[in-house]
Amino acid sequence: MTTQASAFSLAVPSVPTPFRRHRNPLVVRARVEPSDKSVEIMRKFSEQYARKSGTYFCVDKGVTSVVIKGLADHKDSLGAPLCPCRHYDDKAAEAAQGFWNCPCVPMRERKECHCMLFLTPDNDFAGDEQTITLDEIKEATASM
Amino acid sequence: MAVSVSTSTAISSLSSERYTRLPPSASSSVKQPSLQFPSRTRLLRISTPRAPTSPERQFLPRVQAKKQTFNSFDDLLANSEKPVLVDFYATWCGPCQFMVPILNEVSTRLKDKIQVVKIDTEKYPSIADKYRIAALPTFIMFKDGEPYDRFEGALTADQLIERIEAGLKVEQ
Repeated sequence: MTTQASAFSLAVPSVPTPFRRHRNPLVVRARVEPSDKSVEIMRKFSEQYARKSGTYFCVDKGVTSVVIKGLADHKDSLGAPLCPCRHYDDKAAEAAQGFWNCPCVPMRERKECHCMLFLTPDNDFAGDEQTITLDEIKEATASM
Repeated sequence: MAVSVSTSTAISSLSSERYTRLPPSASSSVKQPSLQFPSRTRLLRISTPRAPTSPERQFLPRVQAKKQTFNSFDDLLANSEKPVLVDFYATWCGPCQFMVPILNEVSTRLKDKIQVVKIDTEKYPSIADKYRIAALPTFIMFKDGEPYDRFEGALTADQLIERIEAGLKVEQ
């Protein structure tokens, strides 16, 4: 996986100036990122649902962050937070069908979350937190 | 968490630069609809470890990648002298990202025994479909182009090595 960013300057000259690379650097992320709004929605949902289900976030909050962004990304593109840890033949059909929309049926029925987002206390990877801040998410996924 | 590992330094992967459909005759002898592949697929193989050079990769010696060109995933599998561990992943899959540094460690520790390859299932859905990938991450061990072991989910480096070596023993 690589981060892709390109920098170029914005120049609005009254006098023609040569293209200056570093004058007003504008960093553009080539990778598609989920919208801030969706990330916030899924973050709140995750905290709420962890409390409600008595589950905890992973000791490595990076995992939690990536999954929350994955859910937000699907919410943006499909209208529903389809599980980001699966491969699908037809994502739109799956989102409409609903089995894998978070919280998915295996989670609702058996508290099974293979995304490692909601972990039962006995799970080796479970931490002791049911909260995660937007800053934590941004930091953990900054280098993606 | 280290998610910024570039594929060029540690692990082989198919990079999707230019995306062109291979003519049916160019693909391997498998009788299936032709797989879509970039016209030039660059795959990077591990050869020897080097000293760390960048701050975010402090955990392991940086591995020098050897570039090779393959025409398809099938080619890669067929031409590999060693068994191949294939990691099917997706960008926003938490456990898949969790496995990135672990796979680096495992491929360094087992560098003479296996080759590690990562497939982005969103870039190569046809490969993922061919092997009926559902949950991510899914790991499949291949020998001589054929899968012989398959497991899902994140695991620690020791658990992964244990599983790989158990599979290698059986294969011999």
